[in-house]
Amino acid sequence: MIYREAGTFRTTYRADQAVFPIPQDKAFVLGLVAVAYLVVPFVMTDYFFLAILIPFLILALATLGLNLLVGYCGQISLGAGGFMAVGAYSAYKLVSIVPETNLVVAWLFGGVCAAGVGILFGIPSLRIKGFYLAVATLASQFFLDWMFIRITWWTNYSPSGSATAPPLDIFGWVVDRPVEKYLLALTFAVVFAVIAKNLVRGRLGRSWMATRDMDIAAEIIGIRPMGAKLSAFAISSFVCGVAGALWAFVYLGTWEPLAFDINRSFSILFMVIIGGLGSILGSFLGAAFITLLPIFLNQVPAALGLPLSTAMVSHLEFMIFGALIIFFLIVEPHGLARLWAIGKEKLRMWPFPH
Amino acid sequence: MQNGKVIGGPLLVADSISLAFGGVKALSNISLEIREHEILAIIGPNGAGKTSMLNVINGFYHPQEGTITFKGETRRRMRPHHAAEQGIARTFQNVALFKGMSTLDNIMTGRLLKMKRSLWWQPIWWGPAEREEIEHREFVERIIDFLEIQAIRKTPVGRLPYGLQKRVELGRALAMEPDLLLLDEPMAGMNVEEKEDMCRFILDVNDEFGTTIALIEHDMGVVMDISDRVVVLDYGRKIGDGPPDEVRRDPEVIKAYLGEAH
Repeated sequence: MIYREAGTFRTTYRADQAVFPIPQDKAFVLGLVAVAYLVVPFVMTDYFFLAILIPFLILALATLGLNLLVGYCGQISLGAGGFMAVGAYSAYKLVSIVPETNLVVAWLFGGVCAAGVGILFGIPSLRIKGFYLAVATLASQFFLDWMFIRITWWTNYSPSGSATAPPLDIFGWVVDRPVEKYLLALTFAVVFAVIAKNLVRGRLGRSWMATRDMDIAAEIIGIRPMGAKLSAFAISSFVCGVAGALWAFVYLGTWEPLAFDINRSFSILFMVIIGGLGSILGSFLGAAFITLLPIFLNQVPAALGLPLSTAMVSHLEFMIFGALIIFFLIVEPHGLARLWAIGKEKLRMWPFPH
Repeated sequence: MQNGKVIGGPLLVADSISLAFGGVKALSNISLEIREHEILAIIGPNGAGKTSMLNVINGFYHPQEGTITFKGETRRRMRPHHAAEQGIARTFQNVALFKGMSTLDNIMTGRLLKMKRSLWWQPIWWGPAEREEIEHREFVERIIDFLEIQAIRKTPVGRLPYGLQKRVELGRALAMEPDLLLLDEPMAGMNVEEKEDMCRFILDVNDEFGTTIALIEHDMGVVMDISDRVVVLDYGRKIGDGPPDEVRRDPEVIKAYLGEAH
């Protein structure tokens, strides 16, 4: 009764097309962002920022990027980690060669490079679909992994093979405290979420979804398959590239090519699937589930006072985590975003369901 | 039936089209023309090549021989999206909607070709992108009114019953403002009432917007009632072409398809 559409009369198409046609939704999301900006920075500890919130936000950004490709355009990709690496290393090379580059510019440059590589590896999608495409993108992952390990130019010939980001100085704002890094990551996540939402609700998003749902019919109504698929690869890789640059510069600081290996690609694809294919909100829920749950599970035995060894705890963590993934996929194959939507549907009736 | 509508010159001319899949000749040496503002019915037994003919017209299949001339432009090979850009829209025999999207979004996709202006404003949305979206939304709402599907505007099309899905598919084709509309069995699997509705929509589209329509249909009552001209195919050959009454009496057509009353 509290949360409902009834009583909200939309008299213009503009109001009807709003992202949150229901006022409570709008208030909730705006409130959440306000809390994230105004309350969280003052109440959380450094551990929370460094171990939980920053990785969560950056991975959510990468998930968002991959979701545009897999969820909206229907092109399965196992190359997200590789595209993140392209973003990280191109940004790194740019600041090594031109040290006075502003870091935001460098990160966006990393995104642009990733978009270019994304288009290149997206070309097979014009011919092949589904699992075969997944294998083709897997090839891109292995190739990029190999390139960043073997071609030492990328790491400025560092003997250890690792790269170290310069101090984070953005328009004179030196980002060194965890809370500042958090605010930076949060801003990127929010801005990109808004942009992604705007893209998917307009012309481009419709052409992606049409290609995903029925490529033949999409072509009949005039959508060029090449344009739709490659634009999805480009934009998705751009977002992944920016996320990769942030992951390297803001979260890791010093990183090795292993930071972007196949496991990274898999975990981001899982975040997309568990969060919900074709959902912006789902990208955040999926990233939260996969990054936060293991940490949470790790804390439970200690909090309950169970005398378990560290090894036991970490094994248990793996087992419970795996079981939960299977459980969620059986209960709701459309991901957490769908569960959320069902919850809202129920809430419309609550507390008088009849 | 003919309320003073003027049938113009040929809009589309298919000239000696032959199409084969390996050894199977789907179409052999078919020539037909579709004239402006008319409703042309293509009939024939199963496997006669009716759908193949539509597929050739909108660039899905590339015939081995023959040419298609649409609006005075001759082409041999083209992709379906070129056909769409030229103004050919179609519906499918087995509904080909975008299942994950709502009715409104499905019909809005029909406007994609017309939405070119605001591409770079998309990420920001406010301003040009939103204005353009609303312009097209208004057009789409007129189609929704016309097809009487207001109630299912926001429903995902996967959840709709078959008859309504066919209607939404027609709506999507209409959103393209086509010059030539190809309908592949628009009334298959419908009950009498739904068929009547669909007939009314087809006649109204033809009448109000002057859209040229080529349709494939098996219901002879419908075909004889609404079409201006009938083309009969059998085993990939054209065996009849003319006004409904003439075709109905053609002995070869009766033998191949219509059958005789015993």
